[in-house]
Amino acid sequence: MTHRNFWLSCGQKLLVFLLSIFVLSAAVFYAARLSPGDPLVSYYGGRAEKMTPEERSRAEERLGLHDAVHVQYLRWLRDAAHGEFGVSYKYKTDVLKVIWGRFPNTLILGGASFALIFTLALGLGILCVWYEGRWLDRLICRAGTVVSCVPEFWLSLVLILVFSVWLRWLPSSGAYTVGREYDLSDRILHLLLPVTVATAGHLWYYAYMVRSRLLDELCAGYVLFAEAKGLAKRTVLFRHCLRNVLPSYLSMMAVSVPHILGGTYIIEAVFSYPGLGTLAYESARWKDYNLLMVLCLFTGIAVIFCGMLAQILNERIDPRIREALPPQERKENGHG
Amino acid sequence: MAALLELKNLSVSFDAAQGELQAVREVSLTLHPGEVLALVGESGCGKTVLCRSVMGLLPANARIKGGSILLNSVDITHYRPHELERLRGRVLSMALQDPLSALNPTIPVGEQIAEAIPKQERSVRRVVELMELVGIPEPEQRRRWYPHQFSGGMRQRCVLAAALAAAPQILFADEPTTALDVTIQAQILDLLRTFSRTLPTACLLVSHDLGAVARAADRVAVMYAGKIVETGTAEEIFSEPRHPYTQGLLRSLPSLARRGKPLYTIPGMPPPLTRLPPGDAFACRNEHAMQIDYEQMPPMFPVSETHAAATWLLDPRAPTMPPPSGAQATDLPAPPHPRKEELLLDVRGLSCEYRPRRRTVVRALDNLSFRLYRGEIFGLVGESGSGKSTAARCVMNICRPSAGYIRYQGIDICSPREFRLNRKLLQTSRQLIFQDSASSLDGKMTVADLIAEPMKLHRIRPPRGSLRQEAAFQLHYVGLDESCLDQYPAELSGGQRQRVAVARALCMEPDLLVADEPVASLDVSIQAQMMNLFRHLRAEHGVSILFIAHDLSIVRYLCDRVGVLYRGRLVECAPTEALFSAPAHPYTQALLSAVPIPDPARERGRRLLPLVETSLSGTLSEIAPEHFVLKGDAL
Repeated sequence: MTHRNFWLSCGQKLLVFLLSIFVLSAAVFYAARLSPGDPLVSYYGGRAEKMTPEERSRAEERLGLHDAVHVQYLRWLRDAAHGEFGVSYKYKTDVLKVIWGRFPNTLILGGASFALIFTLALGLGILCVWYEGRWLDRLICRAGTVVSCVPEFWLSLVLILVFSVWLRWLPSSGAYTVGREYDLSDRILHLLLPVTVATAGHLWYYAYMVRSRLLDELCAGYVLFAEAKGLAKRTVLFRHCLRNVLPSYLSMMAVSVPHILGGTYIIEAVFSYPGLGTLAYESARWKDYNLLMVLCLFTGIAVIFCGMLAQILNERIDPRIREALPPQERKENGHG
Repeated sequence: MAALLELKNLSVSFDAAQGELQAVREVSLTLHPGEVLALVGESGCGKTVLCRSVMGLLPANARIKGGSILLNSVDITHYRPHELERLRGRVLSMALQDPLSALNPTIPVGEQIAEAIPKQERSVRRVVELMELVGIPEPEQRRRWYPHQFSGGMRQRCVLAAALAAAPQILFADEPTTALDVTIQAQILDLLRTFSRTLPTACLLVSHDLGAVARAADRVAVMYAGKIVETGTAEEIFSEPRHPYTQGLLRSLPSLARRGKPLYTIPGMPPPLTRLPPGDAFACRNEHAMQIDYEQMPPMFPVSETHAAATWLLDPRAPTMPPPSGAQATDLPAPPHPRKEELLLDVRGLSCEYRPRRRTVVRALDNLSFRLYRGEIFGLVGESGSGKSTAARCVMNICRPSAGYIRYQGIDICSPREFRLNRKLLQTSRQLIFQDSASSLDGKMTVADLIAEPMKLHRIRPPRGSLRQEAAFQLHYVGLDESCLDQYPAELSGGQRQRVAVARALCMEPDLLVADEPVASLDVSIQAQMMNLFRHLRAEHGVSILFIAHDLSIVRYLCDRVGVLYRGRLVECAPTEALFSAPAHPYTQALLSAVPIPDPARERGRRLLPLVETSLSGTLSEIAPEHFVLKGDAL
């Protein structure tokens, strides 16, 4: 691929990216306004219910809720283009500040789960292949089927019941004990249960993928030939098979970011963990429009970005895709 | 001379769902240093299993049931996996049939060759040396290439380089040339022969192609249903075969048959390896079988010092066998000469391009013109990549040509409007048969459904009652019986599958069959059956066939006229006899010189004509009636 082509395709991707963000923001904006509920409640709290109609109308005008939805949207778009995302109704501060306060928590929870899921899945997958058909392989597969069937919220509740209520080993909610904000060990203790739930829910799917892809690769002709060359089974598995599985695994990792992100949102809600997930849940519930918009956009950007990353990874790693031979020629090469 | 490898009564069995599958039965063989021993037999006769049992690479459900494997007089039959691992590469090595799948697509070939070299000698210089040894030009650069960047022949050379990297004593070459073009086939076989002469490497060449074997082998062992039925020097096997199976194989080769006569086919099918008869496994296919053939296993009867065959016909008490005759008892009537007046397919100036990348254009076809008359078999030959398949796809409306037109029964099929108007006619009366029947038949459908599917799609009322009866009828027609109806493609053999593919094409009663390498992946004797079937279709039903092949002996036997494609251009087009007796274009001459002849004496003396780069500009001109040659400016 020439440099020109490279920049061209980058430009193309950027355009698609911006377009999807635009569509997403419009959809979220309308959906939030169309759903029932009273945005004034989140701003004024209990006071909103005691307001006279005049007070209400004045309050709505001040918040810009009087205009038609598309006018509101255009205004929001103009402000957003200037970097102003408005004030959170509930927290009465700039939404970016609110999000910025919660973001590290989600990053730590999501990041830890993500890293754990993919290292463990790779390890389990390889282990299964090494002991294929023997008891360890069967045990891992059976256990995985059972655990991945358990819903996350239920598993969370059971774990809270066992480890927090009965055994009193681990805290049941929050990100840190009040007053020990900078204590690392306390933070880790609070992370243990949510990370366990997130990992247990997603791990097996990827482990199975590694297992079946590796087993497919082991049937390939080059494995037989590598063994005929005198290579040990370990060398064949790690140098040959794993190498061919990793590209798709990497792109799978990129694609799965939103999936795991969504999972952590639920888990955050169950464990009352102060991250973006609980924030998004609250903002949707209390009609905190400005906050909701930014959170949705933020998540959306992450999802779209990861999808593109996966695509680029796929394109770049496989030498055959890199050269972009048309499928027809590849096939003809195949039989001669 | 001490034997390098000696197999004594080796038996290998698989635990299959139907019971014990005896893949190799009491095989005794010796391989001497510096020799090429060819192991010949049809697919499924146990050739590959034999190699893999020596290599210690049998699948998990297979085991060595009896006998012994002696390597340099050391018994390795019961070696543990890690002991065998140490032998592999250094003492025993193997080259596989399909050079694309044998190489890892994501690792540069140089690296793949390097990992086969013992650690202490591993160096870039050694890799380059090996690549030079197998005749890969510019090894310095090409060692960084990935397998897909090489052509098929070059890939097979890479495989050989890796197999020879640790200077093994024995090289098992498992069908090394089956997937390659004739011109490259001969080069690879010559390479194998050179290795056994110059390196201290003996070669066990496994093949189903007797013609290929004649070029390279010193000795030949013929295998049938897991047993060695005949061994001898190449000259002995080819000039005076004694086992009826060997005779049958040789007689079914199209290159030895006369045109116009049906090909000899060995009647029947090999027995299932799970239920082998007590006597000679070949008895029920043998015209001269005696009572004892069915009851008792024949021992190896020595014919000469080097030649032996396992058939009771060689017993002194047996009646003398009549010499095999060339033609078969059931003689088909000679095919009517195609009537030249009715034009079925007219291809003019066809070009087809595709763009693998921006701004690069690959011309798959360049100004191709030919005509196909009703009832004619037109052959298109050429190496892989010459555009044969693209031509077939254009004719079938799968590819869009970038220039030129195709008229089928006067309909311009490239015009979307005309195609829409005549859609039904076009889709029912043209049918395509693919090379690889395993992938062209949906593995999740039964044979009955597969055959009847086109009828269902076009909502045609089956003329024989139900769709199932229709499928049964077509199956009978292509020579299979109804027991196949409820089977899945995976349960059938390659030849049976290809017949199902033909039956599926026939159920629409087509006028034009486009057969894209329909017999390339089949055994010799099944190839003969398929070709007789094609001849029958033409003779009885007047079906016209566009027959695409790389095997010139088949084309010579089957086709009325032949077009030779080279890099997308038609370089010569002539009636078959004219083309083969007086090839005019240098490329055609080179191609013809590479066709293997199943006769070791002639085959080894034959010199390959080098493929010279010829100018592809110029126009077709008629040098004899209906004989067109591309004449360039240089000629």
